[in-house]
Amino acid sequence: MISKKLERVLQRVQKPARYVGGEVNAVVKKKEEVDVRFAFCFPDVYEIGMSHLGMKILYGLFNAQPYVWCERVFAPWIDMEQEMRQEGIPLFALESGDPVRKFDFIGFTLQYELSFTNVLNMLDLAGIPLRSEERTELSPLVVAGGPCVCNAEPLADFIDLMFLGEGEEVDLEVIELYRKFRQAGKGKQEFLRAAAQIPGVYVPSLYDVSYHEDGTVAAITAKDGAPATVRKRVMLSMDESYFPKDFVVPFLDVVHDRAVAEVFRGCIRGCRFCQAGFIYRPVREKSVETVSCQCRDLCQNTGYDEVSLSSLSTSDYSQLNPLLDELLTWTPGEKVSISLPSLRVDGFSNELTKKIKTVRRSGLTFAPEAGTQRLRDVINKNVTEEELLKTVHTAFSGGWNKVKLYFMIGLPTETFDDVAGIAELGQKVVDAYYDTPDRPKGRAVSVTLSASSFVPKPFTPFQWEPQDTVETLRKKQRHLVDSIHTRKIEANWHDAETSFLEAVFARGDRRLCRVLEEAQRRGFRFDGWADCFSFEAWMKLFSDLELDPAFYANRRRDFSEILPWDHLDYGIRKSFLVEECKKAYQDMASPNCREKCSACGAACFGGGICFENR
Amino acid sequence: MKTVRIWFCKEGAARYISHLDLTRCFSRALHRAKIPLWYTEGFSPRAYMVFALPLSLGIRGERESLDIRLEQEISPEEIISRLNAVLPPDLPVYAVTEPVMKPGKIAFASFEFELETEDLSAQEALGRVEDLFSKQEILVEKHTKSGPKTINIAPFLTHTKVWEENGRLRLSSVLPAGSTENVNPYLITTSIRNYMGFDFYEKVARTNLYDAQMHPFV
Repeated sequence: MISKKLERVLQRVQKPARYVGGEVNAVVKKKEEVDVRFAFCFPDVYEIGMSHLGMKILYGLFNAQPYVWCERVFAPWIDMEQEMRQEGIPLFALESGDPVRKFDFIGFTLQYELSFTNVLNMLDLAGIPLRSEERTELSPLVVAGGPCVCNAEPLADFIDLMFLGEGEEVDLEVIELYRKFRQAGKGKQEFLRAAAQIPGVYVPSLYDVSYHEDGTVAAITAKDGAPATVRKRVMLSMDESYFPKDFVVPFLDVVHDRAVAEVFRGCIRGCRFCQAGFIYRPVREKSVETVSCQCRDLCQNTGYDEVSLSSLSTSDYSQLNPLLDELLTWTPGEKVSISLPSLRVDGFSNELTKKIKTVRRSGLTFAPEAGTQRLRDVINKNVTEEELLKTVHTAFSGGWNKVKLYFMIGLPTETFDDVAGIAELGQKVVDAYYDTPDRPKGRAVSVTLSASSFVPKPFTPFQWEPQDTVETLRKKQRHLVDSIHTRKIEANWHDAETSFLEAVFARGDRRLCRVLEEAQRRGFRFDGWADCFSFEAWMKLFSDLELDPAFYANRRRDFSEILPWDHLDYGIRKSFLVEECKKAYQDMASPNCREKCSACGAACFGGGICFENR
Repeated sequence: MKTVRIWFCKEGAARYISHLDLTRCFSRALHRAKIPLWYTEGFSPRAYMVFALPLSLGIRGERESLDIRLEQEISPEEIISRLNAVLPPDLPVYAVTEPVMKPGKIAFASFEFELETEDLSAQEALGRVEDLFSKQEILVEKHTKSGPKTINIAPFLTHTKVWEENGRLRLSSVLPAGSTENVNPYLITTSIRNYMGFDFYEKVARTNLYDAQMHPFV
């Protein structure tokens, strides 16, 4: 429903379709017929949020419950926010147009740290007190899930309850408990204490955190019967786990506008910088039949003519070729093409690319992550230069002439020679092109080297590492450019200042809550967007509040230090992360989960690859 | 191969879909409804789809149309029911016909406006709008590809009526439309705002399309 007030505003903003709903497969229920209303908030613009698979799964799952109505909410872009504030339009949900503050649950998915300010800004736009303690009624409950809840301590004062791990079961358990408590007329505190007993539920207010003089954590103490540590939830049988038969099909051209099938969760690799590689363990695959059936349902119910096989590293799917063969039995007849989001250097073959379409469109992309073999061993990116060059040879003789390579700058133990190694590797790829006799005739090669800045993340072997300072990162970026000697290679990089802020919040503690609160008051939001982010304003904020951001980003932690997320358990032993970190210092790689078990601890969940025969 | 014209409304949330997004929405719906479309030959086959005339964002369309080419015979009723099963609720298809005129023949479009005034009565507003429309020159800024341009819309208002009904100000207008000359109906409401200095909530609908001889587009 579009109110008159909203209608007038829509005339004045860009892309009004972001704010009206009404898409194919959007779920509209009758208010009177549901018991629980859930506002699923993605703290970024519509086009980003509508590309996110997790939201699609939970939206479908919640709405499959007759007593729940789950609606979508996105962060209004700055032009819309200004109009909403001016006209007194509170944050509303797309399906009903109703104000979010009237909902039972306001749930945020925390996908990246730079969206934290958007979370607070959306609460403010909704007209809801930011701090959990100021919301005394049972509803609305502000809840959160997604990868960043593995350390969302900078949001601990604002979120009532967080879901650790995969939400398919635990979210519904909490909704069910809420229903019971509301019916019994019980209060919020009572509810939160009871919810904390559900595995996978973390109630930040039931944990007291004390600090040493130097700012490090002294102790994290559970109270009111909350468990000392909260373990994440996982779905063990992926074939039986809920997956939607349709997606909401946006009118707007969103970032990922296609059907998406998830082929497995987790990753066998264990690259030491990669948080996803650890927090989603263990690897659990879907069967070929399940994936093919889910692809078919989705294409039939959405009208999409492209399906993407998604996972952290799809070429590691043990049944990839059988799956493609199965899909190819029906996709050509339905005029559907198959795409893979990313390929590992060692997962590329012409046999594979003949079966898929989209790689050809955009050129090839690989992520060696580091320029020298030594540094690739440090980060456990088990890819050799030989493999990369073999792969690009194959690609060049297959008709490609554009290659994009992703790297990180600022990795632990990195030297300027390692940075120069990125350019040298780029040069070798250029040389490989001219060494390929059957390369595309009459076309020049184009190699793009894309360098992001390393951000140390919780639950990785590098969680104790300092991030390079912004100055050092800039020097390394310049060194990369100076090391390139041909116009066939183009280099680009991420802004070091946003990576610094990301590093601050990724390993932040609860003392950052008042920083975020003040940031919202000063109007900060969309920090991931260059047009909104101001480094100077952030630095002024930190200095006004007398908190040193470098303490979080650039400080080396001792292995014995209590980390702000030590009470959260993702199944990975801390001692395993320490071992991996020490191996990194010795330039030693580790085998992947399929080669040999490294006993990370994820076997505690009782399923997945940990129990497969190797 | 047979060309058919699909007639639909564009209302509610769908009023805010741009022309490009509308094209994509219909192409998905046609695919999903398994309408036997004729595809262009050549390196990248494309379904033939021609919309009669794009509609500005926010305006309701009561007689919108789209031409497609079919590879196999399929009844109009079948097309209607299959498409309505897969299109969003705010884009209902209500007829499928054989095209008589070419979209290029379109020269005029008719619009209905409903204005809900805020600070003054509809009767007062009516007087002021009548005054405005009697002027020889009504200048209003128009956004064009080459930047803003000031145009005089007074000559285009010969087929515009204004009256009061149930406390609302009502306008009906026939304006040049199509590829040669096009006058956006929002220019009228903008000129009322600019010249008369009162604000209102407006609803605008495009009710029909015509050729140069004012025969309805069929």
